[in-house]
Amino acid sequence: MPEILPGSVQVAEEKPKSDLEPGYLVICWNDPVNYMDYVTHVFQKVFGWPRKKAEFHMLQVHEQGKSVLTRESLERAEHYVHQLQKHSLHATMERDE
Amino acid sequence: MKTQRAADNKLVIHLDRREKQLLVQVLGLYPRIPPAHQPLSKSARLPDHEAGQQLLNEALAEQRAANRRQVQALLAEDRRFEEKPDGWQVSFSQPEVEWLLEVLNDVRVGSWIILGSPEEKLGKLTRENAPHFWAMEMAGYFQMELLHALAD
Repeated sequence: MPEILPGSVQVAEEKPKSDLEPGYLVICWNDPVNYMDYVTHVFQKVFGWPRKKAEFHMLQVHEQGKSVLTRESLERAEHYVHQLQKHSLHATMERDE
Repeated sequence: MKTQRAADNKLVIHLDRREKQLLVQVLGLYPRIPPAHQPLSKSARLPDHEAGQQLLNEALAEQRAANRRQVQALLAEDRRFEEKPDGWQVSFSQPEVEWLLEVLNDVRVGSWIILGSPEEKLGKLTRENAPHFWAMEMAGYFQMELLHALAD
């Protein structure tokens, strides 16, 4: 237990990840049909990312088979998956363990 | 097909006679992705996963129905395509171009799904699969032209 000195400020201990609100990963998976330019364009549009960041994630999808695009609350993650699937990208959300 | 930006930020597209016919044919195929095709999650370890999946399926179905109505309205709108000596001219606002990209990609991906979602090259071209291969490639052609125009 940490020693608390008079006049010192007690800093709340950081909670372990499992005690925090669970996060959900929005993942885009590779497929051989969506054009790289189109995937980049959709990432820019859906997330408001600059082109470089969108291209980075697009290349990760292409080269590594998937890219974790963002970690969000359940509702936000669902929103992003809806948006990506609306554009016919292969996207899912997974609980961040 | 040639594209150019107009002063009001609209995208003006010049199509020769054959290209207009092809664009109309491709748009007429929308929607091609089967309903309830995509899972919300691969692991399915989400709270209320089934309800979430149902919500996703409904949202996508509603979106496709609205897009379908918009495609039909576009194709029925005679004055939208302006006849020129060498073909046709049509202009789209930025949101309309985004919408067109979405529609064209549905036709492309949906045709690929109908073809059996081949990982690499399509096998033998047959009388049965040729129309789907054609639709996939044509949708891709118009998509890339629009993406290049947006990037210019």
